Amino acid sequence: MPSWSDFQPFIVSGLALGGIYALSGVGLVVLYRATGVLNLAFGAVGAMGAFIAWTLINKAGAPGWVAWIACIVFAGVVTLGYGLIFGPLLAGRGPLVQSVSTLGLALVLFGAIDLLWSTSAGQSRSITFPTDNGGFMVGQVQVNWTSVIGLGAGVVITAGTHAFLRYSKLGTAMRAMANDREITGTLGVPVRRVEAAAWFGCGLLSGIAGILLADLAALDDTTLVFTVVISSLAAALIARLRSIWITFAAAIVIGLVHDLVTPITSLTNYRDMTPFVLATIALLLMPRGEILTRSREEG
Amino acid sequence: MIDTAGPKSPAAASLMRRPDRGTLTRATVITAALLLALFALPPIMTGYYTDTMTQVAIYCIVTLGLGLLVGRVGMYSLGQLAVLIIGAWTAARLLFGTGQPFILVLIEAGLVTMIIGSLITLPALRLRGLYLALITLMLSGAVTVVLATLNFPNGGSGFSGYNGSFLHIPQIRRPSFAGTDPAYYRFSVIVAIVMFLLVFAHLRARPGRAWASIRQSEAASLAAGINTTFYKLWAMALASFVTGVAGALLAGADRELFSIDFPIQNSITLLAVVLMGGAFSLVGAVIAGFLQAFLPAFLYQVWGVPNDWLIILFGVGVMQVLATAPGGIADQFPKDMKRLYRFIRRRVRPPAPSPASASAKGGETA
Amino acid sequence: MIEITDLTVRYGGVTSLDGLSVTFEAGTCGLIGPNGAGKTTFFNVLSGFVRPASGSAQAFGDDLLKMPHYRRARWGVRRTFQTEQAIEGLTVYDNVAMVHSPLRGAARRADVLAAIEFVGGGRLDPDARVGTLGAGQRRFVEVARAVAGKPRLILLDEPAAGLPEGETAHLTSVIKSIPEQSGALTILVDHDMSLVSAVCETTAVLDFGKLIASGPTAAVLRDENVMRAYLGTAEVST
Repeated sequence: MPSWSDFQPFIVSGLALGGIYALSGVGLVVLYRATGVLNLAFGAVGAMGAFIAWTLINKAGAPGWVAWIACIVFAGVVTLGYGLIFGPLLAGRGPLVQSVSTLGLALVLFGAIDLLWSTSAGQSRSITFPTDNGGFMVGQVQVNWTSVIGLGAGVVITAGTHAFLRYSKLGTAMRAMANDREITGTLGVPVRRVEAAAWFGCGLLSGIAGILLADLAALDDTTLVFTVVISSLAAALIARLRSIWITFAAAIVIGLVHDLVTPITSLTNYRDMTPFVLATIALLLMPRGEILTRSREEG
Repeated sequence: MIDTAGPKSPAAASLMRRPDRGTLTRATVITAALLLALFALPPIMTGYYTDTMTQVAIYCIVTLGLGLLVGRVGMYSLGQLAVLIIGAWTAARLLFGTGQPFILVLIEAGLVTMIIGSLITLPALRLRGLYLALITLMLSGAVTVVLATLNFPNGGSGFSGYNGSFLHIPQIRRPSFAGTDPAYYRFSVIVAIVMFLLVFAHLRARPGRAWASIRQSEAASLAAGINTTFYKLWAMALASFVTGVAGALLAGADRELFSIDFPIQNSITLLAVVLMGGAFSLVGAVIAGFLQAFLPAFLYQVWGVPNDWLIILFGVGVMQVLATAPGGIADQFPKDMKRLYRFIRRRVRPPAPSPASASAKGGETA
Repeated sequence: MIEITDLTVRYGGVTSLDGLSVTFEAGTCGLIGPNGAGKTTFFNVLSGFVRPASGSAQAFGDDLLKMPHYRRARWGVRRTFQTEQAIEGLTVYDNVAMVHSPLRGAARRADVLAAIEFVGGGRLDPDARVGTLGAGQRRFVEVARAVAGKPRLILLDEPAAGLPEGETAHLTSVIKSIPEQSGALTILVDHDMSLVSAVCETTAVLDFGKLIASGPTAAVLRDENVMRAYLGTAEVST
């Protein structure tokens, strides 16, 4: 069993990862509450954005910050585009169908990434931030700035989203729509515009998560499209697609457990199972009562 | 109080379902196709295509299971890849570790897979469909992680049956009566037919009716006293069983199993091809099997098209099918053909003025 | 007899049923109230789709709320829905046969066919696929489902909604005959007051999840409180 000092660096990286899962999870939950769609392609758009950023930096010689902004904007625009087209097309089909449709988008992007940035020549790509090398010491642990950004982004975005939903007009409209879309429409709320804002916001968050993960984890399509999606989804699922603060807490726990398992040699190879195990436990403990009511369409 | 005043005795009528012309035609075509597949194809196929068609037969079973879940019960599972891996792993372990006859191993792999698949999805079955999709996606992730560490058995000892230091990896054995590639191909087709018949039998009986009811309205089903969780579990058990059997067939077909042959995106492409092929019909499952196993091999062999283009195509297909044609190719193709036929007929024979006669049987003109 | 005591249902900050206490004696009873009064929620509680925060429902001496939803149908609860839920992919016969029944074999077949005949009046073909039927006929299939087997409590949720005039008349006579046909207690929710007064001996009125009136139908429909509750929505006329 590893010692406490062996675990310490993984607390830092776990928190950073958790923060990123949290900001992705929050984006997922808000979009789901506002539009009824669980955007399973959020990992893919962020991934493609990260690869585009890599090309801009390494092939076009663009400065880092331009590339990162391009990544975030790209993710936002693609997600918004998808929402504008497929939102109306699939309206009324239910969350399951609409969410499965986003898997189609994920496949398209995944295939495109493989085509455009193939790894057949054996090259490995990476994204680095200038903050990777600086840092400070907390006790005996080295904390680099990028990890701080990761966790900080998670906290700031969760708190910011909470404030946005509570205090801004657009946020209140989103909350109203989460409660009952039809009535909100009849109240004169511009439902389409609110939905578009939700899609765009979720896309921006995917871009942020994508570029951060590309730095902290790996610039690899399978990791970015699937592995991290599963972690953020697990966090959202544990929060029953409802509370953004529980999403945040669950995401931090998932990130921490995942990384803290790393130094335990007997378990280390299985740490990517963490989200699955935690989500299954949450499902087992989930109460049945309210779930059945929601599955019926009538009022 | 029995009232038989109707034009025909309803009880007798419902017992004897007189097959109409459409069903007979379909049955003939299917039988002909199967005979073709079993007897006409093997002599003319090269080794490459024999292997490919064996994969098609195997994946048709997988799409059969997933099509059952999605099309008949309305359960979207993204975990069939995981189930396939479990089946293949179990079969490989048994084939290496024991001397049991191949068919017995097939059944055992199916049963093990059935138990694991049902148990894992059980917590999600009581909840919204979206949760089932999510938990099965995570299951696929988890199984691919375990597989990366555990690896497929390759003749080693111990629980995992994997020995990383083998220089010469033994091949998984095949049944004594189907050792050669063409013979194994026929064997796979026959197993596939048996699996289809198994599912077909379920669909015609009480489970099939319960599933139809659950798919449309879970509330009405509950109100009628149907234990929806039980029937959903049954569907998942059946789908897991056939997929486990398919996994066992895969072990015998490939003879050496590698984890990179089961990338996680396949859990999504499987759903994609089932949706595109047509989730609501057994024919759709066959089309889906071809999409999954034949199309990539064919395109690569003939035109050197890399697999990534197909992934993109499947992604587009999912979105298109969900948005416009929920029945997939199996549903859309006959409709398109009929429309094409009517279009051609109108060109060849100028139509009568009234629109009603355009769809009439004889197409007589005034 | 059904006795509801202090039934409360809360969901997401909204109290749909607020300490509802009401007794339904026998025969056919009406349940009316403005939209959002809690009528469908009440049915959902009885069917087992919604778990109440508190309260009890005793039916013919059995505690309904203790049973899981699918068992209630076996006990004898039957229900139709506001938007009809007949299963399109199955035939009329299969739809009605789906309902749990204590009968087996030939007796069960006879019972199903009798239910179809009773409700359909000879116009419902047991072998027809429900997907090919019109909305009115599908509604009749649903009602046939409600009278098959051995029902003890039948909940009809706006069965006349969307039915053309002629079919409403037939539906009225069917509902009227249910008590003698099956001995079940029927609760009818509808906005069509002529249907309610033609069919129900007693009626209860809900508003904001509470009982505001109950008694003989004619008296209830003339009650001032009831008219006030309905002001601005459906007209109260017999």
